[in-house]
Amino acid sequence: MNEPFSIKRVFEGKWTQGAIPLVLLVGLLLIIEIAAPGFLTGETVALLFANTAVLFILATGVTFAILLGGIDLSIQAVASLASVILAQLLPSLGLAAFPVAILSGLAFGVLSGVVHVKLRVPSFVATLATGGVVTGLALWVSNGRAITIEEAGRENTAWINATVIGIPVVVLISAVIGIAAFLALRYTRFGRQAIAVGAGEPAAWAAGINVDRTKIIAFAASGMLAAIAGVVLAARLSSGSPVLANQLLLPAIAAVIVGGTAITGGLGGVARTAVGALIISIVRIGMTFVGVNIFLENMVFGAVLIAAVAITIDRSKIAVIK
Amino acid sequence: MSLIPGRIATFFGGRRWRSLAPLAVLIVLCVLIAIANPNFIELRNLVRLANSAAVPLTLAMGLTFIILMGSIDLAVEGTLSVAAMVLVLLAANDGNGNDYGWWAVLAAVAAGTAMGFVSGLVQTMLRIPSFMGTLGMWFIGLGLSVYMLGGTAIKLNDASIRDLALHRFLGLPVAVWVAFGAFLFATVIQYHTKLGRHILAIGGDEDVAKLSGVNVVRVRITAFALAGFFFGIAGVLAAAQLGQSHAVIGDGRLFAAVTAVVVGGTALTGGEGGVVNTLIGVLIVTVLANGMILLGISPYIQQTVQGLMIIAAVALSLDRVRLRIVK
Repeated sequence: MNEPFSIKRVFEGKWTQGAIPLVLLVGLLLIIEIAAPGFLTGETVALLFANTAVLFILATGVTFAILLGGIDLSIQAVASLASVILAQLLPSLGLAAFPVAILSGLAFGVLSGVVHVKLRVPSFVATLATGGVVTGLALWVSNGRAITIEEAGRENTAWINATVIGIPVVVLISAVIGIAAFLALRYTRFGRQAIAVGAGEPAAWAAGINVDRTKIIAFAASGMLAAIAGVVLAARLSSGSPVLANQLLLPAIAAVIVGGTAITGGLGGVARTAVGALIISIVRIGMTFVGVNIFLENMVFGAVLIAAVAITIDRSKIAVIK
Repeated sequence: MSLIPGRIATFFGGRRWRSLAPLAVLIVLCVLIAIANPNFIELRNLVRLANSAAVPLTLAMGLTFIILMGSIDLAVEGTLSVAAMVLVLLAANDGNGNDYGWWAVLAAVAAGTAMGFVSGLVQTMLRIPSFMGTLGMWFIGLGLSVYMLGGTAIKLNDASIRDLALHRFLGLPVAVWVAFGAFLFATVIQYHTKLGRHILAIGGDEDVAKLSGVNVVRVRITAFALAGFFFGIAGVLAAAQLGQSHAVIGDGRLFAAVTAVVVGGTALTGGEGGVVNTLIGVLIVTVLANGMILLGISPYIQQTVQGLMIIAAVALSLDRVRLRIVK
């Protein structure tokens, strides 16, 4: 080909794909700084991070599923159930309500993984189904209502809303989770195997990787992180509800894709998701700032998702696009 | 590989038994519920049952064509709420001064079709797997309709459109007849048109279909638009039944529709099943929901039961066993 310069080829280059989200993030920050000088102070940045924390934790979980070439559509349901469990159990169990809520997420993550792997159900249907199962349970447990975390329970959630040397605890929690997930993907056997499975499942299988186990662990991680996100959200809002996290499914998946993880699997990671989550968060703040109607947010994110998938997807990996 | 679902499926005697399984499940379900609570077979309850099956049936007709191609349309709720929004805002309502009567119905169905058309374009032109493209379209539709409604519920005041739900013909609400008409229309498309054949061919094996001269891109776009058409009708029916449109008019509908299609025996891999299967699937889902209410089981647990049904139905379908890679 004699084409001297092709935008398409630039977009398809691996290096540029990794850099685009970061450039986008910096660009967005610059635009905001120019539009509203003084935005980039410690306080507002801390607030930005704090507001991104829940989204980032959810997105980190779903990163595992997407890296494998799958998807987890049950995260918002699992997060909501965790919030309901926390709100319900805080008065009687105190701090012990946290592990119970988080373990429920782990359990449903494992369920999703087992259904997907052992019953050979495609992950988007398997997680759609477990999401329904979980939503039903959350509605049932809470009787369809939001549960307010009363004064007595709030004593046990206060630590999440506190700050340590100026840094909100939610930011610390998401940083710890982010770093742990990053290290797990890069330096553990599970992480390497997960990327291998995402990059090419038959080859990974032939190389002796226990594909089934890797997938189940990934979905378990996704479920557990979703539950942690739900717990943090419940503590921040002092309420648990069966629909608490419903609005977060799309932004979470969008964060992963916008960050540069391809839905075809094998390419991407937690660092990219962090960038993606910040982009989504800033776009959201920016929209409020510019005066875009709050109800239009979903429209924007839907369009962003489609655009980001169109750019990042590795079409050579799918024989037939279904 | 001796996988669990394979063994169970073999145990049940394979293909022939499986095609009759949904019908058997439906009959057993009806008998059990009727024994537990004889009110189930009262005429009043049967009418109620038909009424609550109207919207899911219309939705599931559209979704069946998509799943027959081996794709999925997650934009069910978004498309339905867009159609309901268009209907309510253009017909006589308590939000603005419009009163276009039945033109509003036409516009609503057109809006649904347009949403489906765009889903089809996204999938074929941008070459994105349908579950991702339609996930985006789901929220685009939802955002659009909530925005246009201003975040509130707007009442539908047009008496003739409300009659879809309130007026009865031969003992059944008109909406039920409309849904039945949608079913007949879908049957004709699937069994007596080229489009229906081509959809099945694509679902069976897209490469072979392409080599046989099927214009895959055109068929896919048409199928998504057709699905949008059905979702649009369902949106009209839903708004007429509720007498209003609001942000959560679509909640839970995607789930019920997917459950109905899958439980009816249409394989997610495509190329197998059809609208008649889906009719039975819709009846199973509706009868179960109705039965649970009659038996005094919390309606909240319905989604849980439907979720388990999806898993069981997909797992039991033989075709999955052939696949080694499942993503």
